[in-house]
Amino acid sequence: MTDGLIYLDNAATSCPKPPAVLEQMLQRYRELGVSPGRGSYDRALQAGDAVERAREQLARFFGAPDPTRVVFAANATDALNLAFHGLLRPGDHVVATQLEHNSVLRPLHTFRERGWIKYDLAPCDGHGFIDPDDIARRIQPNTRLVVVSHASNVLGTIQPISVIGRICTEHGVPLILDTAQSAGTIPVDMVDWHLSAVAFTGHKALFGPTGIGGLVVHPDLDIQASRFGGTGIDSRNLMHTPTFPHRLEAGTLNLLGILGLSAGVEYVLEQGLETIHAHEMRLMQRFRDGLAPLGHIEMYCAESLADHVAVLTLNVNGMNPEDVGAILDADFDIAARVGLHCAPLTHQAVGTYNRGAVRFSPGYFNTTDDIDRAIEALASFSARPHHT
Amino acid sequence: MPDEPSRAAQYPELGRVTRVLAGREVLFDQEGFFWEAKDWTEDMATILIRESGLADLTEIHWKVLRFFREYYFYHGRAPMNRHLKDGTKLSLQVLESLFPGGIRLGARRLAGLPNPKSCF
Repeated sequence: MTDGLIYLDNAATSCPKPPAVLEQMLQRYRELGVSPGRGSYDRALQAGDAVERAREQLARFFGAPDPTRVVFAANATDALNLAFHGLLRPGDHVVATQLEHNSVLRPLHTFRERGWIKYDLAPCDGHGFIDPDDIARRIQPNTRLVVVSHASNVLGTIQPISVIGRICTEHGVPLILDTAQSAGTIPVDMVDWHLSAVAFTGHKALFGPTGIGGLVVHPDLDIQASRFGGTGIDSRNLMHTPTFPHRLEAGTLNLLGILGLSAGVEYVLEQGLETIHAHEMRLMQRFRDGLAPLGHIEMYCAESLADHVAVLTLNVNGMNPEDVGAILDADFDIAARVGLHCAPLTHQAVGTYNRGAVRFSPGYFNTTDDIDRAIEALASFSARPHHT
Repeated sequence: MPDEPSRAAQYPELGRVTRVLAGREVLFDQEGFFWEAKDWTEDMATILIRESGLADLTEIHWKVLRFFREYYFYHGRAPMNRHLKDGTKLSLQVLESLFPGGIRLGARRLAGLPNPKSCF
């Protein structure tokens, strides 16, 4: 980064954004910054066209059959809430996993506390992976959906989604995929993987701004509206517009966010998913291998980096993770994320529920020098005696 | 102006523990942080450091605790990492090693500042 900060928190949000993305976003917003799909003047129609092109681009990106079912939301959490509120009814059952983010756990828990649904969680093994058979065993006659995080935001492990998708299809249960940590670094194919819906966020590996994400819905999945309002069409009808994408979108769209997201996806496609992922995993490998001989450092689920995204979570023996993060920040200009990462049950699985951990997530713009400096920093203070 | 809600009302999930310290009844959260920074006294800090395993607070400990408190009451929040480093003229590595429990559970707690609301 230009100010000297070594930013290793790309799992929270990618930073910096590619300059070309920011420039294109602002340029197009200067040209088109009116209410999309709400007026009949040319500029409003052009803005509406830009939104529709973004839907088409995202449908291609996720291997979705119908661009009109690309629904914009604020982020992946918002998109997942759209799905849960639009699908779940009293008496329903849901299967999720221990690796879920609170974007899944909290809605499900809230629904259960209200007496609406029940849910079961498939456990992860000691390496951070879900066994698809554990999901199959939890499916019941009233299971309304299965929801799975593609890549753990704590452990970085990529789950076997195509296998889980086949199982869900065999049981006739929709599968919703949370791609918050995967979209932009590894491919997602909605049709091949039998996905009923894909929740994504724009501000992580898709290089868009914060505040934009979405839900890509398969035509076979009938999600009801859970929020209502203006859609720009059929205004005499006091019932909310039933057709997609308007069914799940109410109010003026985040045009700036959509333009930025679209520019970000374009950038990812230009660079290539394989190139991006390979670069990030080379950094991960260097980081993991550099830390391994140090001792005093406990890494979680990093023995093998196969089927991983670039997330490495660790603790320094004898130190509180918050203090490790503070030292890295103030003494070494390194930004890493400490705590529970909004995924408490993942931390429970690896034994860090009580104290949390330090998460490093290199991104496409990190260098080997960044990684070496992080290794040197951890080496310099991890081995000395601590009070705790 | 309406009274600000107490920290106990704002953060009920942290739980509360009452104990008598330096002759006064004081409210702590379950991690041992003061509920109210104004309840803190130097005598209390001295007792707490002994409970942590150190015989006493040295001048450098007091320098850190006073910086925390002065900053908190002036700015209305705890110092950010770089402010802490600049204000104490100590690297955070050194500061962490000075206090049993380190920076957050050691220094900040002993200074009587509230439990930070990080991602826990």
